Amino acid sequence: MRSEVVHRYLLLTLTGKPLTKISNITGLLFILLICTVTLLAFYGLIAFSGQGADLDLLTDSYFHSILIFSIKQALLSALISTLLGWPIARALYYLPKLYFKRTFLSLTLLCFVLPTLVLITGFVSLLGSNGFLTPLMGEEWSLYGLHGIILAHVYLNLPFAIRAFYGQLQNIPNTSWILARQLKFSPWQKLSIIEWPALRANYALTFGFIFILCFNSFAVVLALGGGPQSTTLEVAIYQALKYDFNIGEALTLAWSQLLIAGCFFILLYRSNSIAWLNKDSHLGQWQSTQSAMSKIILCAIYIATFSFMLAPLIALIPGVFAANYSVAVLMSIGEALALTLLLGFSCAILAMIIAYWIMQPIRHTLLKQQTSLHIIYQWLANHSLIAPAMVLSVGLYILFLPIMDLDSYGMTFVVILNVLMVIPFAIQQIRARLIQFDRDYGMLSSSLKLGFWQRFSIEWHYAKSILVSTFSLVLLLAMGDVAIFSIFGSDQLKTLPWLIYQYASSYRINEASLASAILLSIYAFLLLKLERAKNNA
Amino acid sequence: MKKIIPLVLTSLLTGNAFAADSAQPTLNVYTYSSFVSDWGPGPKIKTAFEKSCECTLNFIAEEDGVSILNRLKIEGTKAKADVILGLDHALMREAKKTGLMQAHTQSFKQLKPSLNWNDESFVPYDFGYFAFIYDSSKIATPVSSLKELVNSDASVIYQDPRTSTPGQGLMFWMNAVYGNKTKTAWAQLASHTVTVTKGWYEGYSMFLKGGADYVLSYTTSPAYHLIAESEGKYKAAQFAEGHIAQVEVAAALNTSKQPALAQSFLRFLISNEAQQILPVTNWMLPVVKDIQLDAAFDTLIKPDAIDMDIEQLSTDRKSMIKVWRSSAVK
Repeated sequence: MRSEVVHRYLLLTLTGKPLTKISNITGLLFILLICTVTLLAFYGLIAFSGQGADLDLLTDSYFHSILIFSIKQALLSALISTLLGWPIARALYYLPKLYFKRTFLSLTLLCFVLPTLVLITGFVSLLGSNGFLTPLMGEEWSLYGLHGIILAHVYLNLPFAIRAFYGQLQNIPNTSWILARQLKFSPWQKLSIIEWPALRANYALTFGFIFILCFNSFAVVLALGGGPQSTTLEVAIYQALKYDFNIGEALTLAWSQLLIAGCFFILLYRSNSIAWLNKDSHLGQWQSTQSAMSKIILCAIYIATFSFMLAPLIALIPGVFAANYSVAVLMSIGEALALTLLLGFSCAILAMIIAYWIMQPIRHTLLKQQTSLHIIYQWLANHSLIAPAMVLSVGLYILFLPIMDLDSYGMTFVVILNVLMVIPFAIQQIRARLIQFDRDYGMLSSSLKLGFWQRFSIEWHYAKSILVSTFSLVLLLAMGDVAIFSIFGSDQLKTLPWLIYQYASSYRINEASLASAILLSIYAFLLLKLERAKNNA
Repeated sequence: MKKIIPLVLTSLLTGNAFAADSAQPTLNVYTYSSFVSDWGPGPKIKTAFEKSCECTLNFIAEEDGVSILNRLKIEGTKAKADVILGLDHALMREAKKTGLMQAHTQSFKQLKPSLNWNDESFVPYDFGYFAFIYDSSKIATPVSSLKELVNSDASVIYQDPRTSTPGQGLMFWMNAVYGNKTKTAWAQLASHTVTVTKGWYEGYSMFLKGGADYVLSYTTSPAYHLIAESEGKYKAAQFAEGHIAQVEVAAALNTSKQPALAQSFLRFLISNEAQQILPVTNWMLPVVKDIQLDAAFDTLIKPDAIDMDIEQLSTDRKSMIKVWRSSAVK
């Protein structure tokens, strides 16, 4: 009875603090802002076309085949990524002394954020008609088609699955293993009683996240699709908006995409987020000992995955040497790189600040146990994950072009839209840690009547490592954007991905490879810095 | 490096960093991005025009020709540009529908008679023929007609007609050659197509890496390799049925505040000076007769043009695409 009163009192003091209230409201305002942008984009499209979605399209068999294909490739990609992720995560977990483990984990992050342009060039060099590995694949091999798309999607998302599962496995408490040893569990029992429950919670989540990413995939499908049979909803939206300028059709496609991705999205956000950027726990884990045979198998899996992740990147290297290293080319690349870094850092900083602030009301609703409000806030804050990027960009373009001089101020829109695109990723990563902080230290900090900044500085120390990792993730994601820049960017200031695209569009393929290699090295450099900072945090 | 950040910040905050001199009038031209790249025609055209016009030429780049048209549709009468440059002739009808095109005051006396150009709003500035390019060191006897290519088993890369003008050109080509047997022709072609790419460059770069025997491109592509790389092995296959041409056009807008300047720019585009610059920067053929070109251009094939009824093609485009997407399935 008494503890209940104390409990209530503490809750009141928590909510009573004025600065906490302000930060809650600010968080809500940011959520409102994000939703407004999406609504404006749709408004722009609807107002311009004077009509809503073209509902006749729903009965067109072409539409049905696009729908089926989109779902099929996303399902297969997600399934294969998660199924393969499991044994690899086990390999990492059971062999703590693997060589180059840190590099492996950095590589998983690199694969996830790799610009698709670079990825596709690498794959084509490796497995295209004239690729290095193509002779090994047999007569009938062709990179282009459903299997090519799935291969590229698996390459991009398998590392994500690996890290997510590895993180989960690391959360298995030592006591479970000690008990297992005492009870003399067989390997099968260890798997089903200890490992699987640990993974099960996050399996659906990982699967859903990868599904959404693959469902909304655009550049990979266009590049490796190989023909009209490989068209997804996002590709169809692009064709409808750009080449036919048929807004009615685009709207139907966009709503369908929102609906389907939205269903998976709900699955995702009903439970905890996936902690995959967490620090490696270097705590002395009590490991169950593995037989020599399983050690060899796990080692082989590790090496195979490592090679798989490195191969397309290495395939880019020959292209670099063929390039024309004139001063003019290097200067343009340098300028473009500077702009990319500037934009990337601005987007990343903004995204982190906004994501942190959005978490305030979300954590608040959790503390006050307002579960339905909690789910609603989360949903609204993260919805840009499922909104088709094309629709947002074009909608805003249509709305604002007659009103303001986009040629001069287009960059602002590039920043805004990039921030919007990466906020869900940021929230996804920092959520678990911040909520954990509330659970561990929430009561203590309120009973000590800590001021806002004191609390914040403690939070910072607690969550620093995840905040640094997330910053790097959103930085790299924002740096790799081409789609938004192609609509809002001006030609005076080019980003590096856009410059690569320009080189490639005008016969200068070797310069494009050089620029891609430079972009890749910057990515690798930033990632290594990140891993070091994270492990020292 | 240190100077770049303040420069970029300033330009982000104050808008156009390359603001025009307020004393001189500015001519705004919408064009596509590869036109204004450092190695494209843009910079040279700008320098040459500004010498004589006492104005500032300001290129505003969109992603490609279709984006220019889309921008006009969105802006309507608020369009900023005085001239649009970079549509191809297949888009002329759509452009005229916006009601923004200004009738030009140019005479076409110096244009090549084979172009047979008599449009009242649009002025052509370069053109090219679509053709399949092959590596002559690997293929000794290339195919000599479209039908032969379709029926052979040579690996082919071409572009998506829905997203790329060469792809659209191939679609018109197939329909012109095969008529109502186009469906089976597409299926036949699909059986030995490596892939269908979104844009020209994806396909072409794949071809350069040895991805296919033939790639759809322009008759002028070998000229680029000859002049820029001294590489003579890439050649265009000449087809007996003739080739589809792509003419790139420019026009003035009737919302322009400097109609006289716009017209003088259009005149400049078909002047000898501009027509000398364009072939070796945009890698297309000049529209004016008797232009002295680099010797490499003499080695190019000189195809017969297929007659194209643009009006009819614009109408049939949607149904042609429907045929393609259901029959070109592998």
